[in-house]
Amino acid sequence: MRYGDFTPFDIILLLQGLGVSLALFVSTTLIGLVIGTAWAVVRFYRVPVLMQLVTFVAELLKNSPVLVQLFLVFFGLPAFLKINVTPTEAAVITLSGNSAAFIYVIAVSAIESVGRDQIEAARVFGLTRWQILRRVIAPQATAFAIGPLTGLLVNQLQVTSLISVIGVMDLTKVGNILNLRTLKPFIVWTAVGLVYYLTAKLVTYAGARFEKRLRAHTAWKGL
Amino acid sequence: MISITGLRKSFGAATVLNGIDLEIRQGEVVSVLGSSGSGKSTLIRCINGLEKIDAGKITVDNFDVSKPRELAEARKRSGTVFQLFNLYPHMTAVQNVALAPVEVLKVPRKQAEAEARELLNSVGLSERADAYPSQLSGGQRQRVGICRALAMKPSYLLLDEVTSALDPEMTSEVLSILANLAKGGTTMVFVTHEIEFARSISSRIAFLDKGQLIADLPTEDFFSATGMALPRVAQFLSKMRKD
Repeated sequence: MRYGDFTPFDIILLLQGLGVSLALFVSTTLIGLVIGTAWAVVRFYRVPVLMQLVTFVAELLKNSPVLVQLFLVFFGLPAFLKINVTPTEAAVITLSGNSAAFIYVIAVSAIESVGRDQIEAARVFGLTRWQILRRVIAPQATAFAIGPLTGLLVNQLQVTSLISVIGVMDLTKVGNILNLRTLKPFIVWTAVGLVYYLTAKLVTYAGARFEKRLRAHTAWKGL
Repeated sequence: MISITGLRKSFGAATVLNGIDLEIRQGEVVSVLGSSGSGKSTLIRCINGLEKIDAGKITVDNFDVSKPRELAEARKRSGTVFQLFNLYPHMTAVQNVALAPVEVLKVPRKQAEAEARELLNSVGLSERADAYPSQLSGGQRQRVGICRALAMKPSYLLLDEVTSALDPEMTSEVLSILANLAKGGTTMVFVTHEIEFARSISSRIAFLDKGQLIADLPTEDFFSATGMALPRVAQFLSKMRKD
C-alpha cells in the first residue's frame, strides 16, 4: 500500500470530521435560537435602548461576511482585548452570533405574521402580554418560522465549513488533509460534498416533519 | 353598570365619536344602531379598551377603562364577541373557549375545558368541540366566539356586528342563541344592522349618527312616533326596510 492510497481509516477520519461539524452546527444553532429569540422578545416588548442595540448588532452581523467575523474574533479578541480563544471557541462565538442575527429576523417576522385580530381578542379577555406571546403568538409564529428557519439552517450547516481556515478539524478540514495526502481532489471533495448534502437533506426532512405537526390545525395541504 | 360620559374619539383628523353619553344598566339589552361609519364599532372598542379614548370617561362597574390598573378589572366584567370571530386558529373550539378562564381566572384546565364543553353543548356544538376554527362554518365559528365570551362569566356582553359576516341562514342560528341569552337576563350591548332582531330583543335603542348619539329611547318609542319624529332615524329606518 502506498502513502497516497485511500485506507479504511479515512472513513473514520471523515466521520470524525462530520462529528465536529455537526457538534458545531447543533451547538451554535441552539445558542443562536436562544439569543435570536430573546432579541425578538426584546423587540416585541419594545424595551427602550436594548431594542435599538439589538437591531444595531443584528445589522452588523447580517451584513458582513462570516469569514471576516471569524478572523475578527479569532485574531481580534487576543490582540485588542487580550482574551485568548481557541479555534473552536472562536468558531462557536462567530457562528452562534451569525445564526442569532438571522434567527432574530425570522422570529420578528414570524411574530408579526400572527393576525392582529386574535391578539385583540386575547387582550380583551384580559390575557397579559406574556400570556399572549406564549399561548397565542408563539405556537403560530413557530409554525410560520419553521420554513425559513430550515432554509437558514441548511445554509448555516454549509457555513460551518469556513471554520476549517482557522484550523478546526471539521469535515472540510479533513477533506483538505485527505486531498493533500492522496492528491485525488475529485474523489475527496465529491465524498465530502455528498456527506454535507445528506446531512442537509436530513435537516430539511426534520424541518418538514416538525412543520407538518405544528400546522395540524390548518386544512391546507398545498396546491 | 356601564357608564359613558362625554366620550370623544378621533382617528387623526376624523372625529368618530363626538360627545357620547350612555348608560347601560344590569339586565338591559341595548341595541346600538346607525349607518356604517357612524361610530358603532368604535364605541364597543372604547368600552373594552381596545381604543384609547381622547376625552370623557367610561366606567364598567365603576372601573375606569382609561386607567391601566382598572382596565383589567373592567375587562373581566365584559365579554366581547367580534364581527370576524377572531378565534385562535391553532386551538380547537374547546381550547379557544377555555384559554382565558385558565390563564386569567386561573381555573384548573380540566374544569375549564369541561365548562367549555358544556357551553359549546348549549349552542349545539357538542359534536364540533374538538374541531379547529378552519374546520367550522361561519355560523359555528361565531357560536364558538359567543361561548368564548360567556366562559369568562361576564356581567356585560359586547356584541360587535356579530352577524355581519354571515349569510342569512347562519345569521339566524347565531341570533337565536342571542335571543335565548337575552331571555335569560344577560346584559348586552348589541351593535347591529339587524333592525328587526334588535327590535325583538332590546329594551332600549341607541342611535348613532356621525359620532353623536341622537336617540336613546325605549324600543317601543324608537320604532313609533317618537323615533320617527327624528328625521335621521326615520330616514335610516325607511332605508333599511327597503333593502
